[in-house]
Amino acid sequence: MAENIPVELPIVDIWTIINSILVILIAYLFIRAITFILVVISERAGQYRITVKMVIPLLKFSIYGIAIYIVLKDILHLGSEQLILFGGLLGAGIGFGLKDLFADIIGGIIITLEKPYQVGDKVKIGDYYGEVSDIGLRATKLVTPDDNLVSAPNYLFFTQAVASANAGAPEMMVVIDLFIDSDSDSVRAIKILKESVATSKYVYISKKRPYTVLMKDFPFYRRLRAKAYVNDLRYEFEFESEVTRRTWIEFSKHGIKAPKVNVMEAGTLSKAG
Amino acid sequence: MNSDKKEPVKEMIGFLDEIAKIQTAIADFECGQNLNIAIISEPFAGKTTILDVIEKMNSEKVTRLSFSSIVKSKEDIKIPENSKRVVIIDDCNFLYERKIGGFENLEYFLRSVVTSSNIFITTWNLYSWNYLDEVFNIGDIFPVQIKLPKFTKDQVKESILSKYEANEIKFEEDVEFEKEKVFEPRKFTISIKPLEKNINIPYYKLNYSLLKVRLLKKEERVGIEELIFEKIQHISNGNPGVAKIIWNKSLEYPIIKPSKINDVSFNIDLDYKESFVLFLILSMKSINSDELSEILGPDFQVDKIIFRLSNQGLIAVDDVSCNIKPEALKSIADFLKKLRLVW
Repeated sequence: MAENIPVELPIVDIWTIINSILVILIAYLFIRAITFILVVISERAGQYRITVKMVIPLLKFSIYGIAIYIVLKDILHLGSEQLILFGGLLGAGIGFGLKDLFADIIGGIIITLEKPYQVGDKVKIGDYYGEVSDIGLRATKLVTPDDNLVSAPNYLFFTQAVASANAGAPEMMVVIDLFIDSDSDSVRAIKILKESVATSKYVYISKKRPYTVLMKDFPFYRRLRAKAYVNDLRYEFEFESEVTRRTWIEFSKHGIKAPKVNVMEAGTLSKAG
Repeated sequence: MNSDKKEPVKEMIGFLDEIAKIQTAIADFECGQNLNIAIISEPFAGKTTILDVIEKMNSEKVTRLSFSSIVKSKEDIKIPENSKRVVIIDDCNFLYERKIGGFENLEYFLRSVVTSSNIFITTWNLYSWNYLDEVFNIGDIFPVQIKLPKFTKDQVKESILSKYEANEIKFEEDVEFEKEKVFEPRKFTISIKPLEKNINIPYYKLNYSLLKVRLLKKEERVGIEELIFEKIQHISNGNPGVAKIIWNKSLEYPIIKPSKINDVSFNIDLDYKESFVLFLILSMKSINSDELSEILGPDFQVDKIIFRLSNQGLIAVDDVSCNIKPEALKSIADFLKKLRLVW
């Protein structure tokens, strides 16, 4: 029969609780201040915006880690036996219902270290697409194109595929589709679309980030697809809209027409069928 | 002041290697190798000066074309049939407009270059070149690319003083300069949108040129003349044209004092559209408002934007065109790089 060894619990008085709360509060305020300063700096850093923002979650987890260490070691004065007991209690807590919270925290740590996405990236997590505005202890916050703030639990990283459109770079690829009538001059249309992309105020072109325009023939219409990089992922939709608008203005000058509505519907139906 | 006798030598200051490279390419051309040349630099850095020297050195075999505004017709870029074998073309950045259908003249010109038996020596604005090289790979057509170097302090000094007689200029130390601080107090403004408030955070900016000057002074006991050119080189970022403009603004003939050389820093506050217009002006160096309106279309209130750019001291507007202010060149380029409008 195992011998029961009594473990002496730390004396928790009101001051211990106040000190612990104070440490956590200081850590929280410190994180808020650092986050604010780094966000301001990153906005002035231009192309290095995302690089600066990458530091935020790392600092956040480090500061919370230090705060918890101070609370356990210096305020509660937990010894090795007490830490084992604390671990046991934590394990029981996880088993009884804190499982998701714990998975979120571990997910957050792994996201911070492994960087499948970073603050500032455009990502798709589950059904949501948007710019990562914060990677917290429990959840990753996304700002969707409609300006909704979505909190996606960090554990989703373990269970769902996460797509990052830019993977830490300030630029990202934007795909723009335009559909034209089969009778229209497609060679001219391609030239116009190419120039529309290349002259956009939002475009970014380099040897590593080239742009291209592709054409695909469908039974009753043609699809022109431009693939190009926007210089700052925040302008993704402005870029798409600007290129589309300028291209159609130019198309109309050259008699290039959109497919007739019933033709588009027929194409969709035949595809579905 | 000196007469024009010294001109060719004076103009070559700081560009000896570049001129030698061009002369070698011309010599190779005589031997049957056709390597077209692109001389690339930011505005005011001396592209036209180099062309002048090359034209003088090869006056027998050169035909020269120059553009001063955006080329509207192919007739303007037709190479004359009786042209000599070396064709020099200045400011080729005027061959395109950044708009749909704005590259026809450039494409026509590039076709002329590749089908011609002449050698072409061309100059390009750095920012236009970088854009066109990424979009059209124009670097393939101009295999010899000469990017003009930044001038050192000694080159700035030599090029500025070359037009004066020895001891014509008096370099005077002054009290105001001694009072200048290595760390200058500044304010950094943060706007807190939810509260609609601005907070000014004081900080100190390192006056790099002054620090360097003070260190040089202590260690080497360098004369005030060296200190003045150190400061001019730093402010102009080694751009010889900008250095000369700073010199002319600071000189109270025949006296120059360190305190008269102002290190102007620009706090550029522009939205994205205004920044794009600034980029267009930078990439052309000079462009008029009608040309801007034609490129930008009805979405842009060009006159209002020009007014804003002018108000912030970034451009100078005259009756004919909008021009980049030389002293703002470095600040503008840094600002546009941050926005990734300059590649």
